Amino acid sequence: MSSFSTWDVIRNLLLSLPWTLFLSAIAFLGGIVLGLVLLILRIMRPNSLGRLITWYVQLFQGTPLLMQLFLTYFGLALLGFNPSPLLAATLCLSFYASAFLTETWHGCVMSIPKGQWEASSSLALNLREQLRYVIFPQALRISVPPTVGLLVQIIKNTSLASVIGFIELTRTGQIITNVTYDPFFVYGTVALMYFALCFPFSMWGRTLERKFDVGH
Amino acid sequence: MKVLDFSDVITAWPLFISGFFMTCFLTLASCLLGTLLGTLCAWVRLQGPSLLKLIVAAYVELFRNTPFIIQIFFIFFGLASAGFKMGAIVASLVALTLNLGAYACEIVRAGIQATPKGQVEAAQSLALNRWQIFTRVMVAPGLARVWPALVSQLVIMMLATSVCSQISAEEISYSANFVAGKTFRSFESFMVVTACYLVIAIFFRKLLLWVGPRFIFGRMKF
Amino acid sequence: MNKHSSGLVEIRGLQKSFGTLQVLKGIDLSVGRKEVVCIIGKSGSGKSTLLRCINGLEVFQSGELLVDGVPVKSSDPNAMRALRQKVGMVFQSFNLFPAMSVGNNIMLAPKLVKNMSPGDAKLLAEKLLTRVGLTEKFDSFPHELSGGQQQRVAIARALAMNPEVILCDEITSALDPELVGEVLQVIEALAREGVTLIIVTHEMNFARKVCDRVVFMHQGLVHEVGTAEDIFTSPKTPELRNFISVNHGQRELV
Repeated sequence: MSSFSTWDVIRNLLLSLPWTLFLSAIAFLGGIVLGLVLLILRIMRPNSLGRLITWYVQLFQGTPLLMQLFLTYFGLALLGFNPSPLLAATLCLSFYASAFLTETWHGCVMSIPKGQWEASSSLALNLREQLRYVIFPQALRISVPPTVGLLVQIIKNTSLASVIGFIELTRTGQIITNVTYDPFFVYGTVALMYFALCFPFSMWGRTLERKFDVGH
Repeated sequence: MKVLDFSDVITAWPLFISGFFMTCFLTLASCLLGTLLGTLCAWVRLQGPSLLKLIVAAYVELFRNTPFIIQIFFIFFGLASAGFKMGAIVASLVALTLNLGAYACEIVRAGIQATPKGQVEAAQSLALNRWQIFTRVMVAPGLARVWPALVSQLVIMMLATSVCSQISAEEISYSANFVAGKTFRSFESFMVVTACYLVIAIFFRKLLLWVGPRFIFGRMKF
Repeated sequence: MNKHSSGLVEIRGLQKSFGTLQVLKGIDLSVGRKEVVCIIGKSGSGKSTLLRCINGLEVFQSGELLVDGVPVKSSDPNAMRALRQKVGMVFQSFNLFPAMSVGNNIMLAPKLVKNMSPGDAKLLAEKLLTRVGLTEKFDSFPHELSGGQQQRVAIARALAMNPEVILCDEITSALDPELVGEVLQVIEALAREGVTLIIVTHEMNFARKVCDRVVFMHQGLVHEVGTAEDIFTSPKTPELRNFISVNHGQRELV
């Protein structure tokens, strides 16, 4: 116990940091791919598939991520997979991220003035062309700041993967605390590490937002 | 053994009910306290003394850029080891309030900053002091302006109460964990509770959007 | 202080700039008790700024401004609070508080600033609403009223503090033409009752009818002062003549 020096604590926490980054990256990328597919389906088929996607979003936004993680973990077991925290956490966080991203982007697309749709369709562009050349380029610009905001949310939310046994920063903090009995220092350090990870993104997102406001 | 079997889970309904009430209590109490804290912090950031401004800015950034689970661990385990011992419920309330306060501060500030200049000038002309102008003239319309954003944050807060189970505050996620451990029907147990959250979230959002304009800001037009 | 030898509002050499732009270039003006003074002039001539200096909404750089013998000191919150109890203001855009009923709009300041009891404040508000012809609107909300009605409530709100002087800043400019009359009627009644008024307005006929004195401002200075009769029938300066001919022309078109 006493063999754990301050440096040992920090070193072990730093060593777990790549897992937090890895999980964040997978969830964010998975979320972007799935979120984009859902976004396009929702715009192309607003009535049939769009309704389903709205429910999908509502399901992920209306329930705690903690429960979603447990359900994925035990659900995989129920389906006959060997429940691994890695698989459950990456799957669940990707779905979770996709729901938030698709909803945010949908809002951005919907905020493009109706005149842009009307003008482009009066030029005989079809829906695919309208999206590709007129709507998405504009929506992309306004979607960047909230997407960066969601990235921060995702980084923070990877901490919940600790609960199903995924050994990232938070879980490592718990394990070390069980050995050193110094939760004040350990959780304080963990908090500062998350802060160091998230704060630059938050600042960046805010700068982008301001830039966009000025350019508008 | 059936794939899905809810019978054991359903027999444990009293546990879920008591957990449900605890979730409601934590949610309502922290929503009230957190919104109040957020509004006070918004005042500091807009009109407060500069040292306090700095402290509040640091608090807001710290809480917005760290995970809630670490905040609650630090408050429950960390502060206890430093001599501030709290029960799980109190620690949950403190953590939830501080977390919401940081988010609400930024939301409310944006709403209050959008107060038309004429409103403040009219109040000044009536000899109201700065604090009176803030509380009587700026807060209610400011809240009304950002009410939808604030409601979203309050729903997020409600969902975050599930994390309180991790310091064994006996809310509904704790019930789920407990029943899952006892009956080995984990999936069913979490499914039932997840459904509960979904219903609470939908109902809570509707309730807040209905209550706001009727009881919080009077009959004003948005 | 030589309180009784001078006017209620005493302005001497008032100068005010926004950055490098000088808006008021040395204003001298004295307004006596129970006097009704109209300020006319082109937009940008500084008339609204002058009005806003009188109750401290704008800070001026040099010169002197006394209300009831007390100099206006915008750096002292207590002095400002005392000043604003003596000076009421009605704005172009009404600025009623949207979250409060009409009654609460009027009762707010008497309760908070004058520590009036809720019962007394209610009686006062009802009395004032009757005075502006809106007895039955006590529980209405601002957005439920027409512009003219909102402005009348704003007048009642200013009256509720029982001020020595009321400043009116283009109070009919935001109104539809058919609603102008009802607001001006209320102001006219106040003038008859002996309320001290300083009115910035574009309504020339109104200025002519109710004002004891008219002040014509031009490029940040008081260009000409006189009785309504003097100003409108025998303007001395070409600037005023030009202003009157342009504005009367517009009025007749309406």
